[in-house]
Amino acid sequence: MSTAPEMTDVHAIVEQVWSSFLGDEEPLLPAYDAEVAFPADDAWSAAVSIHGGWTGTVTIELSKTLAFSLTRLMMAMEDSEPLDDAEVADAVGELVNMIGGNIKSLMPGPSALTLPVVAAGRAAHSSDLREVSRFDACWQGEPVRVSVHSPS
Amino acid sequence: MSKILVADDSRVMRQIVVRTLRQAGFGGHDIVEAENGRDCLEKALSESPDLILSDWNMPEMNGIDCLAALRGSGNQTPFGFVTSEGSDDMRARAAATGALFLIAKPFTAETFQEHLGGLL
Repeated sequence: MSTAPEMTDVHAIVEQVWSSFLGDEEPLLPAYDAEVAFPADDAWSAAVSIHGGWTGTVTIELSKTLAFSLTRLMMAMEDSEPLDDAEVADAVGELVNMIGGNIKSLMPGPSALTLPVVAAGRAAHSSDLREVSRFDACWQGEPVRVSVHSPS
Repeated sequence: MSKILVADDSRVMRQIVVRTLRQAGFGGHDIVEAENGRDCLEKALSESPDLILSDWNMPEMNGIDCLAALRGSGNQTPFGFVTSEGSDDMRARAAATGALFLIAKPFTAETFQEHLGGLL
């Protein structure tokens, strides 16, 4: 078994989570040329870590607009209903929890998955971690990035 | 009518589980919610549900410890996991502790029908 999840695996997992909880009406479009980091003033992010047979961190970053619209969809809320940060944190955290849990299942175990940590802002990783896989996509015209980092 | 206890630290996910129960044809049952394993354990004893659907990773007390505590107290309420992790190792631990099934997230209404059909 490889020591890092393949981009195609990450893509498949994200797509499955997306279509199950956000519907098939609006496709998640891969964006292979996305090289630019998310601007810090318009991003939400969440991360879970896996420790054990394989160690790494799974992170999702997405635009604030996307974070709010997917929260409304997951909570079956109307556009007019107000949303607070806790609800957005809950939804974005649950997304990375599902993606991270599925990535954990692909990797050598046994290992443990942490609870998600969510931030209103983009994610930053320390220098001892290197990116081993990344999936960039676009949904409803808004960017989303899932990346996997592990110790270098 | 049966009573289902749904335990997950994410309110969004509890809502999705309840919505999926409805889509799977189990909408007529009473739903009780718990926000972590300790809350689940207390409500399993005080509310006497007919079925418990629980997340695994939760603060305060995780789902597997909650199940072990329940079984340790002699409580045999049918218990299934709904969790983001579906590795063979976790399925084996769940079964060994007394869980009837483990539904991995993301799930569909069909998955719920498949596992809950004979229980409710």
